[in-house]
Amino acid sequence: MIRRAVLIVLGLVWLGPTYLLLVNASRPAASYDPGSAWLPSGDFELLANFGRALASADLGQSLASTALYSVVSPLLGVVIGALAGYTIVVLRLRHGFWWFLLIFGGTVFPSQMLLVPLFVGYSDAGLYDTRLGMILIYTAINVPLAAFVLRNFYSGVAFSIFEAARMDGASTWRVFWRIYLPISTSALAAVFILEFTFIWNDLIFGLTLSTTADVRPVMTALAGLMTDVYAGTPVPVGLAAGLVCSLPTVLLFLATQRLFARGLSLGSV
Amino acid sequence: MSTRTPMLGRFRLGYVAPAALLVAGLLYTPFLWTAYLSLTRYDGLAPPEWTGPRNFVKLLDDPALLTSIRNTLLWVIGTMVLPVGLGLLVAVLSYDLKGGAWYRVPFMLPYALSGAGLGLVWSPILSHDGIANQLLGVDTAFLQDAPQNTLAMLLVWTWQQLGVNTLLFVVGLQSIPKEPIEAARIDGASGWRLFRYVIWPLMRPLTAVVVGLALVASLKTFDIVWVMTQGGPGRNSETLAVTMYKETFVASDYGYGSAVAVLLTVVTGLASYLYLRRQVR
Repeated sequence: MIRRAVLIVLGLVWLGPTYLLLVNASRPAASYDPGSAWLPSGDFELLANFGRALASADLGQSLASTALYSVVSPLLGVVIGALAGYTIVVLRLRHGFWWFLLIFGGTVFPSQMLLVPLFVGYSDAGLYDTRLGMILIYTAINVPLAAFVLRNFYSGVAFSIFEAARMDGASTWRVFWRIYLPISTSALAAVFILEFTFIWNDLIFGLTLSTTADVRPVMTALAGLMTDVYAGTPVPVGLAAGLVCSLPTVLLFLATQRLFARGLSLGSV
Repeated sequence: MSTRTPMLGRFRLGYVAPAALLVAGLLYTPFLWTAYLSLTRYDGLAPPEWTGPRNFVKLLDDPALLTSIRNTLLWVIGTMVLPVGLGLLVAVLSYDLKGGAWYRVPFMLPYALSGAGLGLVWSPILSHDGIANQLLGVDTAFLQDAPQNTLAMLLVWTWQQLGVNTLLFVVGLQSIPKEPIEAARIDGASGWRLFRYVIWPLMRPLTAVVVGLALVASLKTFDIVWVMTQGGPGRNSETLAVTMYKETFVASDYGYGSAVAVLLTVVTGLASYLYLRRQVR
């Protein structure tokens, strides 16, 4: 079983830095020493460091809005993108390649470039510092990815599935909603994970487009804490803050493992 | 709308409209504004002052820009080899193993870490008295000299990004119909030959996605460099996106920063067009 051996060795290499993260986030805040960072500490203070990280950042409301953004925007983005992909490939939209290029083209702009124009535009349109504004930009940024993945996924699905459903009288919308979306669960889940993580970890759009506590995403507060390590936050507390931020994403990974565990067969139904 | 093919429905433009409108309104419009600013002198306070193509002329003999272009190229090539290549390897090794999903967990975990967390984990590893130097028994300043600082950051990036590529490759591998593989197995194909001649061609749609996304993302490399070196020391690890950010937000030279943004966008757009034209049509 060479395959398992290779996977385990590579996996252990990958776990090395993860181990360092855990060990040093569990260290008493004052006893960090870069020279012996790989040694576990006698005292286990992970929870205390968690507590300090949470106490220094005012979470409450911003946690709720971040959760809203990172669930609603990927859901919208995935469905809107999948629908575009379905229309281009399965419904054979005329000039489909160019429509696809237009939508995928949304990814070529560096996101730092968008900040100033979006700030100005949002202020004029009354979207600045609103939850609607945040959901809109997060959705727009994620649509191209979903459209690309699902477009290509659907290009591998046998057209006979579509024909059979249409013969039975289903509308094109119904075929999309009841057949194409369900058979692409693993692709949808992969895109959702990517987009959830992107939004959950986003810093710059939150910083630029919002200001009040109940609109601003949570990462802004926590990232400040993490990057302040050089200015006084003890390294273990900074690392604990990093872990707190990552927990929802890790839980999402583990909860969705099952979807990627089995093969599908959809070439010839 | 075609009336000849009612089977394909009559509402197709309506189906792509939400995607097209969101992207056009929130991503293309800001680019137009940036393209305008690139032809002005603008400090963010006084109104923009029209200068014509002067910022682009300045681009041509800016030595820092050459460094940025070299580093950006390194990022593109390195990304194809490491996060994408290794990601494919892990996906192919694990996708049909029993419990294969659990072998992939170690690779997914780093992806959960935000940029700031990434810098925090790796600075003590790569620092002068850090763990990498202790383990290797050397005394190297990993983040000091170019181009090795870019290569060191590329390894950190691989650590974080491998899992995502693996995940997308796995989705591609799972969508492959089982019958051709079974047939090839019965004909005696296995191992490398099975992969090269049966699996690889069948997983092409999702391979095109992974490579296409990695191409665009690597041309725009920003976060990791900003967190680890901020483009330094001096300017020797800057990428085009970092140069753009520094000119705009650090030097408050919005016009020149916008010119770099336009250059980067044109290069990225052209590269993805050329790639997609071949892979996706």
